[in-house]
Amino acid sequence: MNKIYEHQLEDLSLGSVFLATGGGGDPYLPMLLTRQVLKEFGPVTLIKVDDIDDNAHVVPVGAVGAPTVSLELLPSIEEASATLAAYEQATGNQVDVVASFEVGGGNSLLPIMAAAAKGVPVIDGDGMGRALPEAQMMTYAIAGAKPTPAVARDYAGNTARFDTADTSTYERHIRSFAMAAGGMITAAEHPMTGAFIKKAIIPGTLSFAIRLGETLRKHRGNAENLLPHLQDTFANSVYGTCRLLYTGKVTDKATSIIGGYDVGSVTINAFDHQQVAMQIAIKNEYLIARIGDEVVATVPDLIVLCDYETGTPINAERLKYGQRVAVFAVGCPQFYRSEAALKAVSPRAFGFDLDYLPLQA
Amino acid sequence: MRIGIDVGGTHTDAVLLDGDCILATHKSLTTADVESGIMAALSALLQTSKVDKSQIQSIMIGTTQFTNAVVERKELAEVAIIRIALPSGNGFPPLSDWPDDIADAVGRHIYLCHGGYLYDGHPLAPLNDSEIDDIITDIRAKGLTNVAIASAFSSMNPEPEHYVAAKLQAAIPGVNLTLSHRIGSLGLLERENAAILNTALLPFAQRVVEAFHSALREHGFGCPMFISQNDGTLMSADFVKQYPALTFASGPTNSLRGAYKLTGLQDAIVVDIGGTTSDIGVLQNGFPRESNLVVSVGGVRTNFRMPDIQAVGLGGGSLVSEDGNRVGPQSVGHRLVQEGLVFGGSTLTATDIVVAAGLAGVGDPTLVSHLSPALIENARASMQTLIDQNIDMMKPNAEPVPVILVGGGAILIQDGLQAASTLVRPEHAGVANAIGAAIAQVGGEAEALKSYSSNGRQQAIDDVTGEARQRAIAAGADAATIRVADIEETEVPYMEQGVYRLRVKVIGEVATLPGSQSLREQRA
Repeated sequence: MNKIYEHQLEDLSLGSVFLATGGGGDPYLPMLLTRQVLKEFGPVTLIKVDDIDDNAHVVPVGAVGAPTVSLELLPSIEEASATLAAYEQATGNQVDVVASFEVGGGNSLLPIMAAAAKGVPVIDGDGMGRALPEAQMMTYAIAGAKPTPAVARDYAGNTARFDTADTSTYERHIRSFAMAAGGMITAAEHPMTGAFIKKAIIPGTLSFAIRLGETLRKHRGNAENLLPHLQDTFANSVYGTCRLLYTGKVTDKATSIIGGYDVGSVTINAFDHQQVAMQIAIKNEYLIARIGDEVVATVPDLIVLCDYETGTPINAERLKYGQRVAVFAVGCPQFYRSEAALKAVSPRAFGFDLDYLPLQA
Repeated sequence: MRIGIDVGGTHTDAVLLDGDCILATHKSLTTADVESGIMAALSALLQTSKVDKSQIQSIMIGTTQFTNAVVERKELAEVAIIRIALPSGNGFPPLSDWPDDIADAVGRHIYLCHGGYLYDGHPLAPLNDSEIDDIITDIRAKGLTNVAIASAFSSMNPEPEHYVAAKLQAAIPGVNLTLSHRIGSLGLLERENAAILNTALLPFAQRVVEAFHSALREHGFGCPMFISQNDGTLMSADFVKQYPALTFASGPTNSLRGAYKLTGLQDAIVVDIGGTTSDIGVLQNGFPRESNLVVSVGGVRTNFRMPDIQAVGLGGGSLVSEDGNRVGPQSVGHRLVQEGLVFGGSTLTATDIVVAAGLAGVGDPTLVSHLSPALIENARASMQTLIDQNIDMMKPNAEPVPVILVGGGAILIQDGLQAASTLVRPEHAGVANAIGAAIAQVGGEAEALKSYSSNGRQQAIDDVTGEARQRAIAAGADAATIRVADIEETEVPYMEQGVYRLRVKVIGEVATLPGSQSLREQRA
């Protein structure tokens, strides 16, 4: 059985920003808080999916809301553990194992804080293998887990319990609560048994994010030099092939809020200008990459924008005109390639008139 | 007439301008007390130009003293830090991510209390008078007189910061304060850090500004004095007494602004080549393009606006490999005049190559006459390629751009850069920083989260612009000349529709400079 130690948190954060494909928010403060929690409670046990007791009560924990808000409404050290405690109190269930919504930004770290404080393991895996904007896109929901009973807690300790029929309804309700409670809340939801989550989770993604962060740190440098190291890292993972799609400069970024999400596109012009420009469609995360009219990558495959010179992944909200970037694409985990999963996460689920185009090797 | 002075770590440069005309320049070593070096430079300028000091209308100073104080952890005062944001942020008090040495230097006097606002304008928590009074009592008991105050969403609603400030001023007469909404933008941690750094510099800033003032008075200069800040605009010297942290990174900014003034090119790449590195920056509309990344000052995360600078390891002292295929990044730096071949040393440097090529007249050319043409050609090609590639990275688009070469090492680069549409080597390029300081203007900036659905977009922009104008006027701008320089609108994701982060920057002429009228006409 593995553990997550303080000194691994920086790599975990870096790796999970890459996997967050533009979403997920800045993990800087959650990382520093997690470091303090691990200082106090010691390293947290990282349990492999196969090692979970079939009867264990497993609960995913994470934040729901607007990443921009957490620039001012700072997270607190107890919010993950207090949310878990509120869940136990409201439902009468004892949590045996904590799971993650998504391996992306701060949401890779909240489950670790909750598990460390409670003294239970966190699962090495997550419900997206990346970041995605809505709860019904999680593997847990796709596999048929009920979203509730769920408990959400705001910065002031106010809590709400949800009992909804399906995840789409739950998503709408909890987002309303987030907006009414300062724009950012923490939730414990989609409770599952150990037996259930084994077939509903993308396995190994937390330890993989640490390895990926290590690669990005050790081989920090321009995209061409970084690429073979990224490919080596992804070669032994649940993910598919890793490719460098494009390098160039951001020449336009136009996004607007539609239906509560950040929707728009970014245009990148090649450094050498020999090549047609790339366009990437955004709904919180980077979803579709086109070169001219040709689609070269689509969700649920991962489309990742990195700073060209350092390979540091860039969140969509920080993307700006004039930035010099490299666009990587990585094949999504097998889970998302089933017909049922693609119904929830293919380009059509986001309103594009386009089928999923698996990334070519 | 105006005088620009750039106080760098090594050199103090000065320039005397009459309108656009450069009457005199002066370069000297920076003195330990700074002001005696400034006075020596002023005297030299007047002597060279035969101008009487009564004709000087203003003196503009760019100085690295405050940046260096932070980097070297010197001259920093102890600071009481009050954060108004509980119950949020519990477990992450101020200074948590600061390097130990600078956290120790400012004293770790940390106070947390309830209050602040949420994104939608609701109070985060009510202020608690007894909590605040206890904090003030403790600050008094400790004898602290410098206080930084930061509350959640204060860039949207600063009321809690004002409330606590008023109580402090009543309890501790003469207390030095920094309210975070006055110095930083959205991002509580970074804004709080900026406020703490600024507060720690306040007593030093008061001494420096007083020393400048009294030196000028003693030498009979009656004109006002201004100090340049990181975004290429000026602050009145008295404003610097309150906001010394705003001088961070004014050096590279002045270099870019000076290059603009020397060439008149509003959109260009500026390459400032020194002894060890070349700093490549971008002029957009005559002002430096700013960095996208979170900026660390002396190891402390801040969100100051800083110019986007690409530092390349090529300078006059760069080492050249035997075949000439590699130049830099190692350099003999300021020891060039001892170690370079043309100076009788034994190290092959970039300077030796350009002297051997017959392009520069420094040192003794006979000492490099043995270098092979192939070596010279290779080394020159290596330097050109290095600069060419890095310019290409910085260019705003694929079109070749005008490139302005400044700094002592500008001779290293020849015509024929692919990334350059034209290559400009302005006269007086050695004092570009001082010129940048001399032509700076006064700016003001404000930022807030606004809902367009309530009062509409134009009203929101007007509100924020009004706040920016007030700040510019407070910083010394002539209200009649103020224009909006930049409006940045960012929609906030996940929230109700129509919530935007608005940032407005305005710029105007210096109010008290009689010459500002003519400057305005020139630009029109």
